[in-house]
Amino acid sequence: MINLIGGVPLYVLEFGDELVYFTPYTITLFLLALTFTVLVLISRPEKQVDIAFGGDAYRTKEISVSEMRFRRFMAIACGLATMGAMVTGDIFNFTLFTAMVGITNVGIVAAVKSLHVQDAAYQYGLVALAATVPLFAGAAIYAAVTGSLSMIELMKGTLPAVPLIAKGMLMLGVIGEGMAPFYAAKAEMFRAPGAPYVIMCSLSSLLLFLRVVEIVMLG
Amino acid sequence: MIAELILATFFGLLLLGIHRKIIARIQRRPGPPIWQEILHMLKFSFKTTWIPKTATPVLFVGVVLIAIGIWTAAFYILVSGGSILVILGIYMLHKIVEHGFGLSSGSPYGKYGGVRSVISAASEIPLFVSVAVIAVYTHSLDLSAIMQYQQVHGPLLIIAFPAACAMFLVILSKMPFGPFSIVEAKELVSGYKTEHFGIWRAGLEICNGLKTFVLLAVFLAVFIGPLSLPWLLVGMILLIVILAFACALTPMMSPFDSVTIQMLVTALMLVYAAIVLLVVHP
Repeated sequence: MINLIGGVPLYVLEFGDELVYFTPYTITLFLLALTFTVLVLISRPEKQVDIAFGGDAYRTKEISVSEMRFRRFMAIACGLATMGAMVTGDIFNFTLFTAMVGITNVGIVAAVKSLHVQDAAYQYGLVALAATVPLFAGAAIYAAVTGSLSMIELMKGTLPAVPLIAKGMLMLGVIGEGMAPFYAAKAEMFRAPGAPYVIMCSLSSLLLFLRVVEIVMLG
Repeated sequence: MIAELILATFFGLLLLGIHRKIIARIQRRPGPPIWQEILHMLKFSFKTTWIPKTATPVLFVGVVLIAIGIWTAAFYILVSGGSILVILGIYMLHKIVEHGFGLSSGSPYGKYGGVRSVISAASEIPLFVSVAVIAVYTHSLDLSAIMQYQQVHGPLLIIAFPAACAMFLVILSKMPFGPFSIVEAKELVSGYKTEHFGIWRAGLEICNGLKTFVLLAVFLAVFIGPLSLPWLLVGMILLIVILAFACALTPMMSPFDSVTIQMLVTALMLVYAAIVLLVVHP
């Protein structure tokens, strides 16, 4: 089954019963997370230009060094958690990494000293908090039904079939934790300068979504 | 591989030129010559280049390289008959690249183009439903296996017609001057690519050419089956003609309408996938 979904495994790294595996699919996602994390590490934020409505006036927004440092730290932590989620072969580890992505995404947005942006961060935090319930419940149902959380075991097809509800809960949890592509329509986070950090929010969400699509197709 | 890559880029740009020409003729304009996009790419390669003072320089340049890199990877997977899931993953990641293009400059026009790019991520969900339906029929996500299946059972265009329609809609959402082209709407100047000039824009044009080639070739491979090179090129030209008619005859929607319609298509595709899973292949 692994050949059918992510391609032929290129490398499997075992830590006891925990394992990390690289297929063409997971390595593509991992390398993208790595590339953007390096970009966050070496980029400075842009000076966002705002145009005053109804006039020719415009101004650039500045970002303080302390704010920049904290957001960069959070963005790098988010990148590391995303990389972990991309290559892990254990569903429980995947949910832990996903929860960490949710926390760091809130951190990236909440550090901005703007009322609108902090409102968005608060609402996003509530959604992320609520999403941990279906996320971990999904993993728990996986363990209860199959007796295993190993993706490699699920791929073999020898374990009992995973109920649709578990897959749905896992998917719902991921959408809640890293829902940037969806909540971006309403959030005020784009008022804040700091493109490399904001992009990490969107990238981590998208990569988590792409990985969970692969996971729910197993077993 | 490098020769094929260059040829694919140039053919992709030529397809975009044909697309522009057909739209212009439908609207009773003479339109540019069909090689105009190739000329654009060459022209930008030799024009003065700058990085705006307000931009984040590393990201401003880095996204151009990432854009070319991801579509080169997609082209390699297409040629080697690899997993369609990887190609579709790359397709979705193109959103992040557009987002990066828009936000990195600090320009409000670029920013709104980038934001619209992220919110239109709704258009990609039907793509995954299409993939799931294809996997149900073919029991594989490898392009080579999908093409083998079609040699035996006939084109998936007939077997899974709604999935083909959904993927066609996804490709339509990526075409310039189309009903879903909200990221490049005129009120945003050039949207996410407003501030990228000179060699950076040439890089973006290369990415667009390669992207067009890969998306059309993948559509034909997945829904028609294996084709010889001349037939593949003819098929791509036919597909771009159909896309051009769709773009010319429909007005550009507002961002809200665009996302709403894409969500409706997603809902319909989910119903279709459920029917396939429960009724056709229980």
